[in-house]
Amino acid sequence: MAFDLTVLVPYLGQLADGALLTAEACFFAVLGSFVCGTLAAFAATSAEPGLRRIAGAYTGLFRNIPFIVQLFFFYFGLPEIGLYIDAFTTGCIALSIAGGAYAADVLRAGILSVDPGVVEAAKVSGLTRLATFRLIVLPIALRASVRPLGSVFINLILTSSILSTITLNELTGAAKIVASTTFRPFEVYFVLLVVYAGLTYLMSLAISLLHRRLNRYMAEG
Amino acid sequence: MIAIEKVGKNFGSTTVLDGVELAIAPGEVVSILGASGSGKSTLIRCINGLETVDAGRITVDGFDVAEKAGLAEARRRSATVFQLFNLYPHMTALENVMLAPTMVLKRPRAEVEAEARALLERVGLAARAEAYPAQLSGGQRQRVGICRALAMKPRYLLLDEVTSALDPEMTAEVLAILAQLAREGTTMLFVTHEIEFARRISTRVVFLEKGRIEVNLPTAEFFSEAGGLANPRIARFLSRMAAPEAAAPLSPAPTDAHEAS
Ligand SMILES: Nc1ncnc2c1ncn2[C@@H]1O[C@H](COP(=O)(O)OP(=O)(O)OP(=O)(O)O)[C@@H](O)[C@H]1O
Ligand SMILES: [Mg+2]
Repeated sequence: MAFDLTVLVPYLGQLADGALLTAEACFFAVLGSFVCGTLAAFAATSAEPGLRRIAGAYTGLFRNIPFIVQLFFFYFGLPEIGLYIDAFTTGCIALSIAGGAYAADVLRAGILSVDPGVVEAAKVSGLTRLATFRLIVLPIALRASVRPLGSVFINLILTSSILSTITLNELTGAAKIVASTTFRPFEVYFVLLVVYAGLTYLMSLAISLLHRRLNRYMAEG
Repeated sequence: MIAIEKVGKNFGSTTVLDGVELAIAPGEVVSILGASGSGKSTLIRCINGLETVDAGRITVDGFDVAEKAGLAEARRRSATVFQLFNLYPHMTALENVMLAPTMVLKRPRAEVEAEARALLERVGLAARAEAYPAQLSGGQRQRVGICRALAMKPRYLLLDEVTSALDPEMTAEVLAILAQLAREGTTMLFVTHEIEFARRISTRVVFLEKGRIEVNLPTAEFFSEAGGLANPRIARFLSRMAAPEAAAPLSPAPTDAHEAS
């Protein structure tokens, strides 16, 4: 059988649906992991030892368990205790929590690199701790953190392929089905390869733009 | 009135402030002089609540900075200008000045912006309002820092060596603004190594030595032979400060803090 992409034409709709589902899941996962990561980084850098410990437990735990195990636990385990969540939502939540653990570490490092004098200026001006974090610490930390955060998000896109294991026909799931109906795995997975590369490329492009925007007029720290 | 009553502060086993008593009444310009390590910055940081005191009490218009609510009120009544400016690097000069009045005092943006622009204009930075700190010279940054403090309409201005990171020319431009503020009756607590300037603008001079207030005198008296200069430590300090360039290369190690005793 020669390499012939035209055999996939009838299945393009199916693959496109899968790609769309992947994009949607990734969109929510990136947002969710940013939120989880920010909350955990706030806790990890707070003066409250209790909060720091919780943040440490969260990142330590979720970075040391295979993602597929976390996913199965949420999807197959939780119904056992009466918690039913649909596959898509479960997938987004699991990705957010796992990604958040990595994002938290990246953000924590960014926060610790913020000039303490600048934070003190905000404090003595009367800003609350939360306002100081939101308006001063986080935006400055993001300047340094946005690139490594981009790597976390790219990893999230790659990891999203595992969602196919919980009946979600996202890109990888759709591709498996198409491959088994057409018996053309070479073409199918070739397309898959290109689409994932395209998605991650878009992500790194967005991160570069964001990085440039956050760092304009910031020749020096 | 800022009242500092028997304040003590330790870092570990080192005593940095020891029984400091000082009152700053509205309208006064009090300069704090003292060798490096004598506790000047720590005193300022205790007043604005960046450090907590270990003994005694500090109140700003009666509000105790050791209490949460008291500190919030004290911080509304005082503003700090920092040695290294500490501007928000991701905000323009204008945004730096506007942040606290809008976020802390919850005042309407338009009103705050008009005032902020007027303040920047007053320090000669009207044209640089949209510039980011990294695009400004040191002197310009410090002028923004002063505007940021003044935007809160503080009753008390706390200044900790606000010109020591600047070259002489920039120092002059910042001091000119502070002199103007002093003439207008702004209450200031002014930590400085600019002796001549302190002499010109302050109503009172405090000399800090190893965390203790060695003298606290009206300016003219402090600089008189019978007053402050009669104290050998102060005389030595002043003569050393008068010719720092000449002194520096001769001294083998920085002995400022430990010498006198
Ligand atoms: N956070 C801290 N932890 C430990 N020691 C400190 C801390 N801050 C200040 N010190 C010590 O307290 C003493 C007084 O410091 P401070 O900064 O108040 O002096 P200063 O009079 O402002 O000196 P300078 O003229 O050099 O600014 C110094 O011996 C300093 O090493
Ligand atoms: Mg100091």
